[in-house]
Amino acid sequence: MNDPELEELFADPAHREIVDLLKTTRPAAPPLDPHFRNYLRARLMTEAQRTLQPRATRPWWPFTLKPKVLAPMMAAVAAGFLVVLGVEIYLQRQPSPEMVSVNLPSNRTNVATAEPIVIAFSGPVDKTAVMETVVIEPATSVTKQWVGQKLVIVPNHPLAPNTTYTVTLKPSASPPPPPPGPSVKPAPTVAPTPVVMRFTTVPAPVAPVVPPSFTSSNVHYGHDSRLADSGTVFSASWTPTGQLLVTRPAGQPGPGAATSPSATASPSGPAAPAGATDVWLMSTSSSPATPIRLVVPGGSFAAAAPSGGLVAAWRLAATNQATLGIWDLQGNLQSTIATVDGVPDRPAVWLDSDRIAYVDNGTLRIAGLHGAIDAPKQKVDHGSLAASPSGQLLAVESVDHSVVIDLTSATAPRRLPDRATGFAWSTKGDLAFLAQQATGTELWVAIGGTNEKRVTSSPTGQTWSDLNWAPDGASLLLASKSVGAGSSASRLILINPDGTALTPFASQQEYSSPRWSSHGDFVLFTRQDEAGGRAFWIATTSPSDVDAAEKQALAEVDKFMQARLRGDNASAQAELDAAGLGAYQGGASSLLSSPGTQFDRYYPVTVQKTGSNPNTFLVGVRIFVSRSGAQRSFFEEQLTMVLQGQRYLVDAVKSTPTMLLSHGPTVVSVEVAPTSEGQQGDQGQSEQVRVRFDADVRADTVTNDTIKVTDSAGKPVMARIAFDPDNHLATLTLKLKPGSTYQLAVTTGVTDINGVALTQEYDAPLVISH
Amino acid sequence: MPDGFEERELVERAKEDPDAFGALYDRYFPQIYRFAYSRVRDQSLAEDVTSEVFFKALRNIKRYTYSGHPFSSWLYQITLNAVADHYRGQHGEVELEEGADLPSGGPSVVDEVVRRDRSRRVWSAIDQLPRQQRAAMVLKFAEDRKIEEIALILGKSSGAVKLLLHRGVERLRRELPQLEAELT
Repeated sequence: MNDPELEELFADPAHREIVDLLKTTRPAAPPLDPHFRNYLRARLMTEAQRTLQPRATRPWWPFTLKPKVLAPMMAAVAAGFLVVLGVEIYLQRQPSPEMVSVNLPSNRTNVATAEPIVIAFSGPVDKTAVMETVVIEPATSVTKQWVGQKLVIVPNHPLAPNTTYTVTLKPSASPPPPPPGPSVKPAPTVAPTPVVMRFTTVPAPVAPVVPPSFTSSNVHYGHDSRLADSGTVFSASWTPTGQLLVTRPAGQPGPGAATSPSATASPSGPAAPAGATDVWLMSTSSSPATPIRLVVPGGSFAAAAPSGGLVAAWRLAATNQATLGIWDLQGNLQSTIATVDGVPDRPAVWLDSDRIAYVDNGTLRIAGLHGAIDAPKQKVDHGSLAASPSGQLLAVESVDHSVVIDLTSATAPRRLPDRATGFAWSTKGDLAFLAQQATGTELWVAIGGTNEKRVTSSPTGQTWSDLNWAPDGASLLLASKSVGAGSSASRLILINPDGTALTPFASQQEYSSPRWSSHGDFVLFTRQDEAGGRAFWIATTSPSDVDAAEKQALAEVDKFMQARLRGDNASAQAELDAAGLGAYQGGASSLLSSPGTQFDRYYPVTVQKTGSNPNTFLVGVRIFVSRSGAQRSFFEEQLTMVLQGQRYLVDAVKSTPTMLLSHGPTVVSVEVAPTSEGQQGDQGQSEQVRVRFDADVRADTVTNDTIKVTDSAGKPVMARIAFDPDNHLATLTLKLKPGSTYQLAVTTGVTDINGVALTQEYDAPLVISH
Repeated sequence: MPDGFEERELVERAKEDPDAFGALYDRYFPQIYRFAYSRVRDQSLAEDVTSEVFFKALRNIKRYTYSGHPFSSWLYQITLNAVADHYRGQHGEVELEEGADLPSGGPSVVDEVVRRDRSRRVWSAIDQLPRQQRAAMVLKFAEDRKIEEIALILGKSSGAVKLLLHRGVERLRRELPQLEAELT
């Protein structure tokens, strides 16, 4: 019972049985409009701004709001938290000329990246003119909507973290309606000076992670959160960049219903039929996860391309027919590659960046994005279908038996053991599958997709299902259920591919269908709620030992930086070892701000493990410098953090020149991570270098000419580059040698969506760990 | 459960600082909405009640004095008052009186209950309890409040709350087997 009050109150065993039942269950979660909470918060914060802070100006909030009255607005601000940034513009209509005054209580910080911006006006304004004057820097595509006298600016995707945004507008008063009879048409009066508001977004939720920090064998279940109420998300899957593609009932609210001229393209293609579902892109960078945009109206069974940027999904077409289409993540239909009779029951399977396998009335087919491709003749039913990461091998549960098909040769498919099902390919190209037997479930693993071996079986009385490899290919996650148990009795288990280290992943026994995110920072799963519905959840994973060391090093960096921000010389010096102190005293960088300026804020841009024994991290920090209360410039330091005894100390520092904060995009973070093609070859191991910008960047300016990696001899390293506009993220895939140092350069050829270039070239070292 | 000192500090800041009030809202919205819904069983009404609770809290937070009880107790009190205000305006709203029996398991109730598992049934049965018993049961078993805190929220003595809980559990013990038998 574990509650002394109840133990004292209920001694009768019959009562205790009821009490135990009540204590071990919870009433079903009440239905909740996902936008209500955010909407109410926004209203409260607006009211709180008005009532809790002393004001010199007259009250202006002229009305009270009821949720039902403003239901349309709730939909309009559905992106998540709605922040009212405290801009109040007074248009005093008499006497002439009209005046504009602004009350900005302070620059807001820690603004969530999914928060719409609401600007409330106290009187009528020329709405069209106001919308046209709004400028957001760094450049951000937004949707602008008027809700009464409030201008709601909804970012079309999450804002960049760690970034100070400036919103500038020139409000102009709306002319009063002309009096009856002949009159002179009054012109709107534009405010004499622009209204400027600034806010700073939250720090990045997860510190940049570098290899080899993610090791799935050491991770633990972290904090979980419900993705959506049961019945509001039918299916969900990860994109390569860690967003979610979810299938929701048709007509769900979300942002981006209408886009401004500067916004990214709105969903296009033929009008969707009246399908029962839509496919949405959701972000997990905020909690709770928030819908970003409708990607496939009327779509279902979405699958993200392994190279990112595209999604394949089914849409019902004519009567009893469905089409397989390809959309980009902005919602633009790229092509329709197949039409099948009947209603599909599974997503298509990407083989590589331009080939897709799907099932057409029991027959396996393969389509190319640019035309049909002959497929091996296989009759399949409702069984498993999975492609190796190289796209060469396809595991198929056919009607007769399960096989592995080599798509690059004409050899006969290789038969797998009887009852092989639940195929899962690791990022290294290893195939795992299950075979249900009378005594339990066998786990089989085929290293490289060949020579499969039975590695272990489920414990007596247990059955296994839902195999999923960890992103590093070092362990498998599966659902384990007692024979004969109800569907809610499933739990998640981690196991090594050799069958060892069977470890419970989550303590509670009601999870199934686990799916790692590509970066290993989240696990998606389903869970039955008390009402019998099945809802999608995501859980964070707590750090491995190396992550813990990284966090310890970052904690010391934070103490060091906070002391510098405070101007506390003694505390800052306490974080330096002798070599570090010498470096600062020798002029490698300035420990404290110079007179007349102040270190205003900082954040880590890169964290890289550069050595062990002792552990050493190279931490790149960006430090913003303010003068007269306004941030004017920034510089970066590369801090070498060395474990000395029980704590990390700054052992060395290198500093960049000071860069002025001005228009144009800047790089906010750089991460290095192993890829799914991570096997080492002569030219090194395959790595991804992820460069994140603060602004919406023009995709056509993100090229091998504008973002380059060079080796220690200055020789360029060949790289494949992809750009994800939703996350302002450029991803370079390239071969880098462990133990080597490279140089990243982001040139001024990168421009934002308004054509404004990077102010200065950005350079950073890349250290590749062993 | 938030640390008492930290919560007290946050509440004090919320008297001046909108961000601190926002933090209180973030912390307590789920349980207040859940509690409101448990009382009115209607999503729209629960939204109205929750809105009213937090706006009242905002309007009156400067008068709130820390008494050693969690801040949530105050919010629960406001919730109960808001629910009571709502019902006062609803002519024809029927509240079961103390001592009234659970529904006898007529066809509509049985149809409803048949679709639910055992835990669902027991919480359904709690919904049918008299108003004060229901509030006490929800606060104790769904919200994990201490009896002393429930007493503060309901404006009763601790002994009275214990009696409400005992009666509630006893009624479930008495009535649940009957309901379950009717289902089999």
